Amino acid sequence: MSLLVQNLGIWVDGVAHLSDISLEFQQGRLYTILGQTLSGKTTLLRTIAGLQSPQKGTLTLHGQDFLELPVWKRRVAMVYQQFINYPHLDVLANVAFPLLRAGVPRAEARQRAREILGKIGLANFENRRPSTLSGGQQQRVALARALVKRAEILLLDEPLVNLDYKLREQLRDEFQNIFAGQDDAIVIYTTTDPDEAIQLGHELIVMDEGAVIQQGKPLEVFNAPAMIRCAEIIYNPPMNIFNGAIQRGEILLQGGVRLPVPWHMGHLPEGTYRFGLSTADISIGGNIGAEVELSEISGSQTILHLRGAIGSFIVYEAGVYHYSMGSTVQVGLDPGRIFTFAVDGKLISAPAATAGQER
Amino acid sequence: MLKYKHFFLLPGLIVLVAIIIFPLLFTIRVSFSSWDVVKPGLDWLGGKNYERLFVDLRFWEALFKLSLMAAGSVLIQYLIGFSLALLVWRDVIMKRFIRVLFLVPMMTTPVIMTVIWRTILHESLGPANDIVRMFGFEHLTWLSTSGMAMFSVILVEVWQWTPFMFLLLLAGLLSLPKEPYMAAAIDGAGPLRTFFSVTFPLMAPISAGAILIRLIEASKMMETVYVLTSGGPGTATETASYYIYIRGLRDYQIGYAASLSFTYLIVMIISLTIIAKVMTRKIIRD
Amino acid sequence: MMRTTYLLLKYTAILIWSSFVVLPFLWALTTSFKTAHGITSGATYIPWLQYEPSLEGWKVLVRTGGAGINIVQPYISSMVVTVGASLISLALGTLAAYGLSRFTYRLGFIKNSDIRFFFISQRIMPPIVLAIPFFLMLQYFGLLDSIIGLIIVYIALLLPIATWVMVDFFNNILREIDEMATIDGCNPIGAFFRVILPNSLPGIVVAGLFCLIFGWNDFFFAFILTFTKTQLLPVAVVALNSSVTPWWSLSASALVSVAPLVIIAFVVERFLSSGNMAGAIR
Repeated sequence: MSLLVQNLGIWVDGVAHLSDISLEFQQGRLYTILGQTLSGKTTLLRTIAGLQSPQKGTLTLHGQDFLELPVWKRRVAMVYQQFINYPHLDVLANVAFPLLRAGVPRAEARQRAREILGKIGLANFENRRPSTLSGGQQQRVALARALVKRAEILLLDEPLVNLDYKLREQLRDEFQNIFAGQDDAIVIYTTTDPDEAIQLGHELIVMDEGAVIQQGKPLEVFNAPAMIRCAEIIYNPPMNIFNGAIQRGEILLQGGVRLPVPWHMGHLPEGTYRFGLSTADISIGGNIGAEVELSEISGSQTILHLRGAIGSFIVYEAGVYHYSMGSTVQVGLDPGRIFTFAVDGKLISAPAATAGQER
Repeated sequence: MLKYKHFFLLPGLIVLVAIIIFPLLFTIRVSFSSWDVVKPGLDWLGGKNYERLFVDLRFWEALFKLSLMAAGSVLIQYLIGFSLALLVWRDVIMKRFIRVLFLVPMMTTPVIMTVIWRTILHESLGPANDIVRMFGFEHLTWLSTSGMAMFSVILVEVWQWTPFMFLLLLAGLLSLPKEPYMAAAIDGAGPLRTFFSVTFPLMAPISAGAILIRLIEASKMMETVYVLTSGGPGTATETASYYIYIRGLRDYQIGYAASLSFTYLIVMIISLTIIAKVMTRKIIRD
Repeated sequence: MMRTTYLLLKYTAILIWSSFVVLPFLWALTTSFKTAHGITSGATYIPWLQYEPSLEGWKVLVRTGGAGINIVQPYISSMVVTVGASLISLALGTLAAYGLSRFTYRLGFIKNSDIRFFFISQRIMPPIVLAIPFFLMLQYFGLLDSIIGLIIVYIALLLPIATWVMVDFFNNILREIDEMATIDGCNPIGAFFRVILPNSLPGIVVAGLFCLIFGWNDFFFAFILTFTKTQLLPVAVVALNSSVTPWWSLSASALVSVAPLVIIAFVVERFLSSGNMAGAIR
């Protein structure tokens, strides 16, 4: 039992919103689609829901052509990034709405709506209008309405993006329990936040410019991003990329910085490469000089945007420090954590997986 | 999906096409016939009506007088409407009462209010001349000399429709951004300079829109004239619509009136389009 | 000092314009209590002091028969025509506006924007251009001088207005709400009636008020398309505007005719001052 997406393509005014997407979604699993804004995530969800028609490709659910069905006959549920509820109905009526449309008797519909509202923490808000609720509560109503009909496909389009940080964390933690109850559904969840994608999904799909650029178990993808673009998307902050080469048993970076070739890169032939290092693997204090272009403080971390002979890069430093613009800092690179990409961007070698192991 | 979307648009569209486009096409056809009180019915006259119309000075004069009165009244409406909007834009006592008061004229039935205005402008029994005399002037021939009659028509139009200008311009003022004003204040600009360098340019698009809407409405002018002066004295305040009405529904020269009204429509569309183009181009250039 | 001068000028200007605005109403009010004598003796303003007031002008409005100018019947006719045409225009206009706001239509080179323009451009059409064919058409169908005929003609007048207001209103309602309704199992028609319509009251009220005002205020079509059987209010009032004008009943009937509009003016102001009407639904 699965949803099969084959060669799906949508072009608007010559621009590909989806180009030749093929994916398979299995029942009872949660898929997260990670991609930046306009990467085609929303278009894909809207196409699955039936709100948009593709110019090419097929959609099949359980071996049945899904594209032929109009939206209201597809058994899908959807949560938007805006908090979409029916303004003229109270919370209970909002949640019971899809059941009533499906022909469920009134009493039963209200009963089921109440159950879901209880589960989602809105038991005391049954008679309130959505507009009188907070953003987080409004999104919970939308979520309850999506869950109540036990749809075969549950689509969530960046449901947390418009919530503030605290609420986002809280709801995200609850999601794991909520979705655990949806065993017979295909859940597809889009996000721009790598942490969210990795925490929630059974399966991670990375999209960019309307195409799927990598798919796999979240940690597998994290530990071995298939290409530079992927590494930029799934690392938060984006992975730093340096141009350089392997020459005479040494890594030679731009600006004459030399590093020893670590064990995991020992098999690589000499040549030109692009090297990736996450911000966590660059530390303050070392022998590589760089100039501070910008420093900002986020929570208890200092984020430094640096430019040096080896290129521009970003470093996170634990603790709050003040740097003046233009001052020079020394940093050190951890060669053992270097990702090696070919000049065209494809991953050639990744360091041993450490990320996520402590979880 | 196909059938659903037609459920929404088609009924309204069909009704509108049936009530407006069909009659319009019929007008065009009638304009090539000699339909009149002696010989009603469709025959084919060719372009004779249009030849007659081309040398019908009364029609072209009516168009000219119409443009004079329309332009004059809209200009005055704009000036007064903008001034009033500026006066009540910021703080003013009894804000809501004043706003309702300023809105009322445009809501009231134009012909009925014009009937009242006719009694006001009555040269011996109306209060207009009473007030004029109070200020020590000679009594005025409000409706009986051509210049004054035109002025009276404009006066009534100004009374009726300045509120509309006021409404649009006030809405425009209320939606202006705050930043340019802060910048002007920091530059130390006085109220006059602030108006000419900030308010007026920012209001240009909405001004153009309001003027255009009023010009469209004013170019249909007929009821005011019918009630106030009956086009008189003589034909001094006769507008295009009113002249066509006389030819068509009083003299029953249906065919000729149809050719007049079609020509009138074309002239109107062309001149209003030109005005709209010129105004938008000027705004874009500034 | 400058500020005081400015305030003085400002309120003087407001006062002058306000007097100009209320002048016809006050004049009509005082005139409505005059008799023939009170009028022919020149402009007078204050009852008892300058003239002996009489209720004749008001009484005559509801009196039937020879001396009466009964405006009750025209009042009812005006209401029926205005309300009837407004309701039909609102229904058709709301549906058409929703269609134009949400779906893509294409007929040869004609697109949504062209259809929208077609609706709105009807405001440019001078009534006289349509008058002749309307006259002949209603004559052909035997609908001259009838309520039904007038309602049909007024739809041509009001439908573009209703559509114009509602397109704007619907464009301000999030499309995601309709989409959600279809995902929740409504077809587009169901989504419209179950979800969009119940949330459109503010827009419908505004469009309805516009329709009522424009319908109530029309004179021209009522004037040329009716004769004796059917008479609408503006025509009845203007008919009093003859050479031997009974100014007292003319004034009284004028005041009665515009009274509902003054009430509407208050309602409209409330809507305007409540700000962005589309904001009510967000």
